[in-house]
Amino acid sequence: MTRANLDLHWSNDLCRLATMGKKDKDTPVRMSLQTLRVLEAFLENPTAQLAGAEVHQRCGIASGTLYPILIRLESAGWLVSQWEAIDPSSLGRPRRRLYRLTSTGLRRASEVFASFNRGVLA
Amino acid sequence: MSQRNERSTPLDLEGMTAWLIHHASRRAPDSLSSRLEEEWLADLASRSSAWSRLRFAMGCCWASLVIVSEVPRSRVPAASSAGARGIIALADGPWGYFSKRSGTLFLVAGLHAALFYGLITTLSHTRGSAKPPDLQNQVLKPVPPETLPPPLPRELKLKAWVIDVQKLVDRVPPKVDVEKDPTVRVVDSLEGQVPQLPPEAPPHRVRRVAGGPGAGFPDTADFYPTLSLRLEEEGLSTVQVCVDPQGKLLADPTVVTSSGKARLDEAALRLARAGSGHYRSTTEDGLPVSSCYPLGVRFQLKK
Repeated sequence: MTRANLDLHWSNDLCRLATMGKKDKDTPVRMSLQTLRVLEAFLENPTAQLAGAEVHQRCGIASGTLYPILIRLESAGWLVSQWEAIDPSSLGRPRRRLYRLTSTGLRRASEVFASFNRGVLA
Repeated sequence: MSQRNERSTPLDLEGMTAWLIHHASRRAPDSLSSRLEEEWLADLASRSSAWSRLRFAMGCCWASLVIVSEVPRSRVPAASSAGARGIIALADGPWGYFSKRSGTLFLVAGLHAALFYGLITTLSHTRGSAKPPDLQNQVLKPVPPETLPPPLPRELKLKAWVIDVQKLVDRVPPKVDVEKDPTVRVVDSLEGQVPQLPPEAPPHRVRRVAGGPGAGFPDTADFYPTLSLRLEEEGLSTVQVCVDPQGKLLADPTVVTSSGKARLDEAALRLARAGSGHYRSTTEDGLPVSSCYPLGVRFQLKK
């Protein structure tokens, strides 16, 4: 077992003990249960781009919790966001902000879920 | 816009949700304000129910508060593109392995534990002292019913007691034959066996000299009341003083004979008290003894 795996095991043990989770020095994102659910929604299709409303539909997390998590993951480099490339006037709706998992986010999220024995492959 | 008008409710929830989102986005950091407002309005449009939209808008208000509390410590790209890499840690300060909420939770739990520990240790002392004594089983003996004396008859009948008194003749001891009875010894005379008392001594007459004011006794003029001087009051007060052999008062003096003026009587008492220690004690056969005697104090104006 490598040093990184030991750190992950240690961090996830603490995550189980304390609901709020733990900040690892390599993954400066607070691993709360809601954060894990958001990551799980992105890991279902790592290449998909999801708007906040779609993440809400998949996770069931309220907007007051969801958007701070998205901002947090984006600032940590796990997610990137961009505006939807559409013409609002033609579709009759405003453009949405789409989030996508980065390669770093994909790797980190996979390691986190792997430590939980979820078997998600990067 | 037309869809919004169709969805509007009588309570104008549509306008309220739009205002809430606008308000929440303005509370967000400047770098995120416009982005969040457009993003939230776009996500709001995907919701069909008016109440769901209202809940969403209220959640955005809460989200802006959370973001404001976290973003100053980080740099979130305002309009990040797919290739942007704004990896800045959302450092939460020196909280170690726990978040702020976990730390606060542990702090509150610790305070409660300390409070309960203090209460338990404080109350255990009084609880121990207030412990009642152990119960002891004891078989009580049956108490016999009280036997009251029979009630007295309403009319008492006195009996006439008759005492038989024997005649004195019967109590006279029998005559003893002195000559025949060997246990009896005849004494011829009691002379010389009766103790002779010494002749009675003549009564001793104690030479008693009554005491009085001695050397250093205060002057009467010093205790003459000023008001009595003005009113020209005069009189003789007699106070009873009890003096020990050293010339000191044994008790508080009392007025025996009043002068007729209360002020003069009070002045006589003050004089008698002031003279304690300066009395000449009464002597018996030349020896000072404790005694009580009257002391006359005359208040008289000088002509």
